[in-house]
Amino acid sequence: MIYKRTLLVALLTITGLVVETSILGEATLGGTKPQLLLLMTVALAMGEGPALGAGFGFTAGLATDLLTGLPAGLTAITYTIVGYAVGRTRAQVQTPTAWLPAAMEFAATLGGVLLYGGISLLVGQEATGGSALVVHALLAACYSALLTPFLYPLVRGLGARLRPASALR
Amino acid sequence: MMRIFDRPRRTRLLVALLLSAALVLVTIDFRTKGEGPLDAIGRGIMAVIGPLQDAVSHALRPVGNFFAGFTQVPSLKGEISRLQRQNALLEQREHQVGDIARENDDLRRLLGLGKRLDLSTTIARVTGVGPSNFEHTVFIDRGSSDGIRKDMPVVAGAGLVGRVVETAGRSARVLLLIDPSSAVAARLASNGETGVLAGDAGDQLRFDLFDPEAAVKLADEVVTSGYQGGVYPAGIPIGTIARLQPRSGSLSRRVWVRPFVDFTSLDYLLVITGERTTR
Repeated sequence: MIYKRTLLVALLTITGLVVETSILGEATLGGTKPQLLLLMTVALAMGEGPALGAGFGFTAGLATDLLTGLPAGLTAITYTIVGYAVGRTRAQVQTPTAWLPAAMEFAATLGGVLLYGGISLLVGQEATGGSALVVHALLAACYSALLTPFLYPLVRGLGARLRPASALR
Repeated sequence: MMRIFDRPRRTRLLVALLLSAALVLVTIDFRTKGEGPLDAIGRGIMAVIGPLQDAVSHALRPVGNFFAGFTQVPSLKGEISRLQRQNALLEQREHQVGDIARENDDLRRLLGLGKRLDLSTTIARVTGVGPSNFEHTVFIDRGSSDGIRKDMPVVAGAGLVGRVVETAGRSARVLLLIDPSSAVAARLASNGETGVLAGDAGDQLRFDLFDPEAAVKLADEVVTSGYQGGVYPAGIPIGTIARLQPRSGSLSRRVWVRPFVDFTSLDYLLVITGERTTR
């Protein structure tokens, strides 16, 4: 049944990249583009668990890295950690509220952008630093929370539809 | 034995493997920057994504414009005011352009430089923007099969946009002038003072003049300086001086340039493919 997971990851990665770079590419919030693939990583991690969250995060992050001139692997590291952390955190929540997805998307995007900025600085990249990075992370987090009601159910629905009986959660 | 392969452990093992793989990729990418196997994979992804971007941006442009307009509403008022001021400035300039163009033509004929800036170009349409917030790039619908090569300069009607950094068959990636890793040799049009201009992740460009005592004032025009073996031909308009930093006793003088090109609404671009061979 691994093909269902592979299909899900490939479908979401390609769709996410195309939508992120074309339709939503110019729809910036205070100069910040939406982090659609990160949003998808969080949605999958919440619905399908930390294993798929980390796996999709790695694939989506690597695809993003390879499509930019930024060092390959940095976004993959960031999204893998976010996918795993969100999946683990979600498993601890016994009574989820309606606000949980938006709150989780906000927190995960904020953490993800700050983590990426930190790793970039560690490897000597000219990433936005200091207060500009924090502002940028906050804007990206707000954007993710705003997009959650539209995109989260779609990704969760697709994840459930392509869930094998023996899914690793 | 069962405990070793229980689900939380397997998940942790998977995450450890993925992170290790990512670290290996970072190392490979740093060592083979620009011509390694990862760049070939990147070109492969661009070749797959490019036509999809083209189709989607064609079909769903109104939807994209709706989203873009929706998120830009708060800044529209300021934008209208800025455009009104710019319009007044352009009207004033229009009166000067005819005379300058005629004078310029005469000088070019005299100096035999007419053909030097007679560049061959290819029109390209922007199909998408880079996915990362830490890099400023756009994708265009022309690639290596259209004669587009790495490092070719890209301009819009208003001035310099950037340069091609990656090509696939039918698409290419353009690094914008506003990206922090972008650097251009530039000069002041008024007195020829030269320096290096670089992006600063904002709406203004950082311009370090080589001469710390260089005479520079607000609204001075900045153009590419061009030099033997450089990427950009000389004389391409870049922008105007928007902010002056006080002299600090350093070896260069820093000023800030507002680009002529609006990088938030790029549509059709010209890729400079080379000088004409008709001379």
